[in-house]
Amino acid sequence: MAPYPGSDADYFRDKARRDLLNLLEGVRGKKNLVVSQDLAGPVGLFVKFSLLQEYGVDRVFLLENGNVDSTQRNVVFIAHAEKIRQVRAVAEQIQRLQRNGNVEHELSIFWVPRRTLVSNSILEEAGIIGDVNIAEFPLYFAPLEDDVLSLELDDSFSDLYLHKDPGCIFHAAKALMDIQQRHGYFPRIIGKGDHARRLADLLLRMRKELDAEESSGLAGVSARGLLPSASTESLIIIDRQVDFGTALLTQLTYEGLIDETVGIKNNQADVDTSIVGPTAVPQAQESSKAPQQSSKQGQKRKVQLDSSDQLFSQLRDANFAIVGDILNKVARRLESDYESRHAAKTTTELREFVNKLPTYQLEHQSLRVHTNLAEEIMRTTRSDIFRKILEVQQNNAAGADATYHHDAVEELIARDVPLKTILRLLCLESCMSGGLRPRDLENFKRQIIQAYGHQHLLTFCALEKMELLQPRSSATTTLLPTTGAQPGTKTNYGYLRKNLRLVVEEVSEKEPNDIAYVYSGFAPLSIRLVQCILQKQYVLSLIRGGPITAATPSPASASSPGWLGFEDVVKSARGATFSIVQKGDDKAVRARQTISGTNAAKTVYVFFLGGITFTEIAALRFIAAQEAPRRKIVICTTSVLNGDRMMDAAIEKGSFAKIE
Amino acid sequence: MAPSNPLANWERLGDSFYRKVPIYDAIFDEDVELENYIIAGAPYGGAIALHRDESKPYRFRDAQTAKSSIDIYSCSGKHINRLNWEYGTIRGLGWSDKEELLVITEDGTVRRYFGLYGDFTSFSLGNGAEDYGVRACRFWTSGFVALLSNNQLVAVSNYDEPRPKLLAPCPEGEVSSWSLIPPAYTLSRSVEVLLSVDKTIYLVDPTEAEDKVLQNGPFKHASVSPTGRFVALITSEGKVWVVSSDFQSKYSEYDPESRVTPRTVDWCGDDAVVIAWEDEVHLIGPNGVAARYYYDGTVHVVPEFDGVRLITNDTCEFLHKVVDVTEAIFRLGSTSPASVLLDSIDLLEKKSPKADENIQRIRPSLPEAVDTCVKAAGHEFDTYWQKRLLKAASFGKSVLDLYNSDEFVEMTEKLRVLKAVRDYQIGLPLSYEQYVRLTPERLIERLVNRHEYFLAIRISEYLELPADRIYVHWASQKVKVSTVDDEAVCKLIVQRLEGKPGISFELIAQTAYDEGRAPLATQLLNHEPRAGKQVPLLLNMEEDEIALDKAIESGDVDLVNYVLLHLKTKLPLSSFFRTINTRPMASALVETTARGQDTELLKDLYYQDDRPIDGSNVLLAEALDETNLPSKTEKLHLASRLLSDSKDPSVVLQQKLLAEASQLLKIQETLDKDLADRSEFLGLSLNEAVYRLIRSGYGKRAQKIQSEFRMPEKTFWWLRLRALVAKRDWGELEEIGKNKKSPIGWEPFYNEILGAGNTKLASLFVPKCANLSADDKMEMWVKCGMIVKAGEEAFRAKNVNALELLQARASGPAAAEIDRMINQLKPRK
Repeated sequence: MAPYPGSDADYFRDKARRDLLNLLEGVRGKKNLVVSQDLAGPVGLFVKFSLLQEYGVDRVFLLENGNVDSTQRNVVFIAHAEKIRQVRAVAEQIQRLQRNGNVEHELSIFWVPRRTLVSNSILEEAGIIGDVNIAEFPLYFAPLEDDVLSLELDDSFSDLYLHKDPGCIFHAAKALMDIQQRHGYFPRIIGKGDHARRLADLLLRMRKELDAEESSGLAGVSARGLLPSASTESLIIIDRQVDFGTALLTQLTYEGLIDETVGIKNNQADVDTSIVGPTAVPQAQESSKAPQQSSKQGQKRKVQLDSSDQLFSQLRDANFAIVGDILNKVARRLESDYESRHAAKTTTELREFVNKLPTYQLEHQSLRVHTNLAEEIMRTTRSDIFRKILEVQQNNAAGADATYHHDAVEELIARDVPLKTILRLLCLESCMSGGLRPRDLENFKRQIIQAYGHQHLLTFCALEKMELLQPRSSATTTLLPTTGAQPGTKTNYGYLRKNLRLVVEEVSEKEPNDIAYVYSGFAPLSIRLVQCILQKQYVLSLIRGGPITAATPSPASASSPGWLGFEDVVKSARGATFSIVQKGDDKAVRARQTISGTNAAKTVYVFFLGGITFTEIAALRFIAAQEAPRRKIVICTTSVLNGDRMMDAAIEKGSFAKIE
Repeated sequence: MAPSNPLANWERLGDSFYRKVPIYDAIFDEDVELENYIIAGAPYGGAIALHRDESKPYRFRDAQTAKSSIDIYSCSGKHINRLNWEYGTIRGLGWSDKEELLVITEDGTVRRYFGLYGDFTSFSLGNGAEDYGVRACRFWTSGFVALLSNNQLVAVSNYDEPRPKLLAPCPEGEVSSWSLIPPAYTLSRSVEVLLSVDKTIYLVDPTEAEDKVLQNGPFKHASVSPTGRFVALITSEGKVWVVSSDFQSKYSEYDPESRVTPRTVDWCGDDAVVIAWEDEVHLIGPNGVAARYYYDGTVHVVPEFDGVRLITNDTCEFLHKVVDVTEAIFRLGSTSPASVLLDSIDLLEKKSPKADENIQRIRPSLPEAVDTCVKAAGHEFDTYWQKRLLKAASFGKSVLDLYNSDEFVEMTEKLRVLKAVRDYQIGLPLSYEQYVRLTPERLIERLVNRHEYFLAIRISEYLELPADRIYVHWASQKVKVSTVDDEAVCKLIVQRLEGKPGISFELIAQTAYDEGRAPLATQLLNHEPRAGKQVPLLLNMEEDEIALDKAIESGDVDLVNYVLLHLKTKLPLSSFFRTINTRPMASALVETTARGQDTELLKDLYYQDDRPIDGSNVLLAEALDETNLPSKTEKLHLASRLLSDSKDPSVVLQQKLLAEASQLLKIQETLDKDLADRSEFLGLSLNEAVYRLIRSGYGKRAQKIQSEFRMPEKTFWWLRLRALVAKRDWGELEEIGKNKKSPIGWEPFYNEILGAGNTKLASLFVPKCANLSADDKMEMWVKCGMIVKAGEEAFRAKNVNALELLQARASGPAAAEIDRMINQLKPRK
């Protein structure tokens, strides 16, 4: 509704920056900043340290380190008020500052994203609520890219599925309300999964409450509450739980593989300097340093991975198999560009060349970084172990008899492959075929515990709680293709594989013609579901076994909205299925449509509750490119996920070795 | 009624005019002896608080009037409320711009009365106020500063969450006068105080007290202009100085020719200073020109940002600068287009043709003339002239072809509102400027505070503003005063508010609860649409379970946690568990919160819930955290015992593995004792332990452990292979190679050994890989650098192509050998 131009990402970036700087301005003079770890990264996404310095920030500390310098008078804490642990940590540190500082401190807390009742009562209990200035810093969506908004809640996966703590659903609902308040409410909310349903319900409830709160009793209907948006088509919510399987597979796009091997956090990867060379080009590569990067971190270097790096945006969503080709091509082009200096005859030509020189250098540096990175990844992917793992995964995904691979898995255990990898394989099997045979499971349990330690008894319990690794119960043994025993309690991959054609063997990696390219032949279920909503024609022709041709933009889905046409198929995936129309005043809607014109591209928001992988992002971008003239897809998520992070949520970190 | 002369009460002051507009008359009873009262007026034409000045003697009439009190009047003298006062000497009486009355007593207690009807909150200044006592207070729109008798200054800048803060310590000495600059107008963004001490003035902010080095003190008064740019001072000789607020330049000086120090010094807008004695007021303009007004009785000055209100027993007047537009129209001999336009109205009414002539004459500047008339109408207090000016504007715009009437329409709306609230029965003498600054919303709030619901609703209807707060306030009041039974009240309220959106029933219910009508509160709460809003009140009402349910319904985890926190401290553990038992979200949250903080609670919870595995896991986690072996084993033992009753196979396995853990720890302890001088094995996993044993050359012990824990043969072989390769124990590996069979095949041997760089030993294993194809074997040989062997492999498979490829890679004798093999194969073809 706000007439703010530009994309949501820009809007949220600006808003967050403005909010934070305004708050900082309110604290007079020099100040030290204490930021909780899970906020330091997101804050780095929209504000540079140099800018913070302009606003009087002297030094930045991490809350978790508990090493605040007590000589500075002004101390500002930024922490999540919804995370009780952080609130307690803040209270503790404030008490400590008050006790042993000889300076009288001026303390401020900016609660993200809001001040909570629990934080109040904890501060009250600690007896410090009267001594601190408390403000709210409503940070919800942190924009990772122009088309990716993330809440950057790293714990959201474990909270949702392990601890059953629905806090991040509420958080997500609040964040989506921000979008609705900007554009008007989503005309339609479509979703899959129980948590997704809960999120949709919360959105409906919040809208009702907003209507009740804001509206005037007397003004006409026109001023009452929000209207359905004219620029938005729908919101699609996918619960991660619907499709654990996809996320467990090893991602095979370039960005995905970087995430798998090095790890990407808040658009940054910590790469060994022996691979990418030392930090040579601070101004170019690390345009936005995370504020905590004050200390030297051994031999690691932060590599910024976002669309500011042109080469990377070209590479990120490509299947790794063709990354080498692209790199070669770019290298050759660069060289010929560079050689053009010899062709320059006149001074103007020469000047032109010199003007372009900085760009060349930038490109060159980025080319070097990515070539080295790709080589490093190649070293991993060529290894015997990686190939074995991939084989097991691919066969599981394709629905081959999993017991056939148990030997391979056992061998991997004996070879001391990282536990995460092993568990990913077992969980994958469990997800894809509805659990492991109790005897096999018992056997693996014993072997893994002997290999990695008895503390992992806890790990198994956690995995079972998350329903990632389960014995095949009698109820689910009948989970054969075509007949889901109890539709909706578990995702029936067998059935869906066939009926949504998840396995597309003839997919081309070079010139992708189906989203299956991201896993070299397996189409992520989660994204297929999105296609069932957005590209019905295409999916239908796929199922009929038609040749895979690039999806042509189908007629507007207004004729068959929501899940129409796929209701039965979708039932085989886990959890609730829903499609809700948010009705508004018809007249107003029509009026707005005439004003804005009906031909403009409409935005579809795809929200992944519980996290999204880079491959799924790539697949969604692939769809977005096909739908480009008519639709814009904005990807929203609670966090960026991969199989390792899923396992991290469950794996017990302690060990028996701890002894003084 | 004859129209008043618009020029009446105009007074020339230098280049500009000031006028004193009488607004109300017959304000106070004769009995109210204004000279004996301290008086404080709320900004924006707000209410006036009167408190008898206890330092002055007064006439005793009866016991009732002798009691100390604070009386609140409207500007028109309507008595709104009386607050009986029995809390000690008042040292500060002032208003915030939300029309909250602030009363500060000598002991530093601050009472904030909101809503004019005696509801209040209070807090204490602290910072030594109890010990030293408050001497005086100065207010600004959203805060105040108190001066303690030890010259300390305490500032409060926010009434919702008051945090009294000490300003920088100021110098010793008698404070002869003082004043403050509101935070909005200071460089430091925090309130600053001017203190006149001895001969000079100090500027005090939170960090320091700066001496402004003046010579003409002690100053008897210091007053800062509304925008904080100027300061008016009364010097020791009784002269009035106007200086810049940084004390760098002096703008004017005025001698009031009076021995008596004026009682108050205030600013009238930003250009003139008003000094007042008991019955005399001087208005001092720039360059020391002044106008003098004399009164029969005591006059009190209430400053506004655009003028001052002068209040006597008989009248309430508004003294302010005549704005440019008004001056342009009404000034004697004015020939401005707007003035001509106004004249034409008279002519028009007389049906004189000159009207048109006039219009034609000012035609080029007619649009401005219309604008001017519209604006001037806003600044007029007299409705006659308002109408006249609007009529002129309307006439003027009818002549124009194109004119945007928005401003005209808006002005008529504003004037209607202003007329309604200026009525003596309401008594809000807002000037146009004040109304614009106050905003309609807050005006409505003020009306609601005066219980003028009807007018408030009519105005919000007229201006299309939300009316929900008015209804809520009305309903709360109804709850407070009504004496009928709960049913009837609830029914009445619900009936009246039905269909009105945005009504917060929670607030009404809160009032009901505060009034001690809990059942009514419950009934009202049921009408609240926002579940979350109901929670805090429900908790107060001890409706714990409903509160919990409502919190869960709202989906707000914070609310749920809040309720749980509350319940946990309040209820006995067992009933707490019973409450959360049936609510999965609640118990999940309790678990999350308790994890890592309150494991005992977790254990109790799992015991109560009959979840032995979870309970045993808590103990297992504790075992990990223990730092010495005996306690680790102890916890493991406990964990295992919890599971002993179950027959479930997965539980049995769990228990078995727990026992295994203790056993392993025990063995590792012995290993540490026997083989290592420090803790090396303890805490390793079984595989790691076996691996380390073999690598350190204790193969026998490793084998013993293998059999003890029934480690699969394959695993053991892998471990042994990797450990021996790591140890570079080629002899042992060769020895193993003499076995006929390997459970893991021989290929891993080849791979691992080759990976470690021993091609010779690796090659030994190539022939043993029986089930590999010839091509694979060839590749293996090549990797070991044995081209000839590879050739032989190809030869056996009769693969000429492969041989030819090999030939290219071979050299010396090997090449000859390959040649020979190719030749051998070829002729037969």
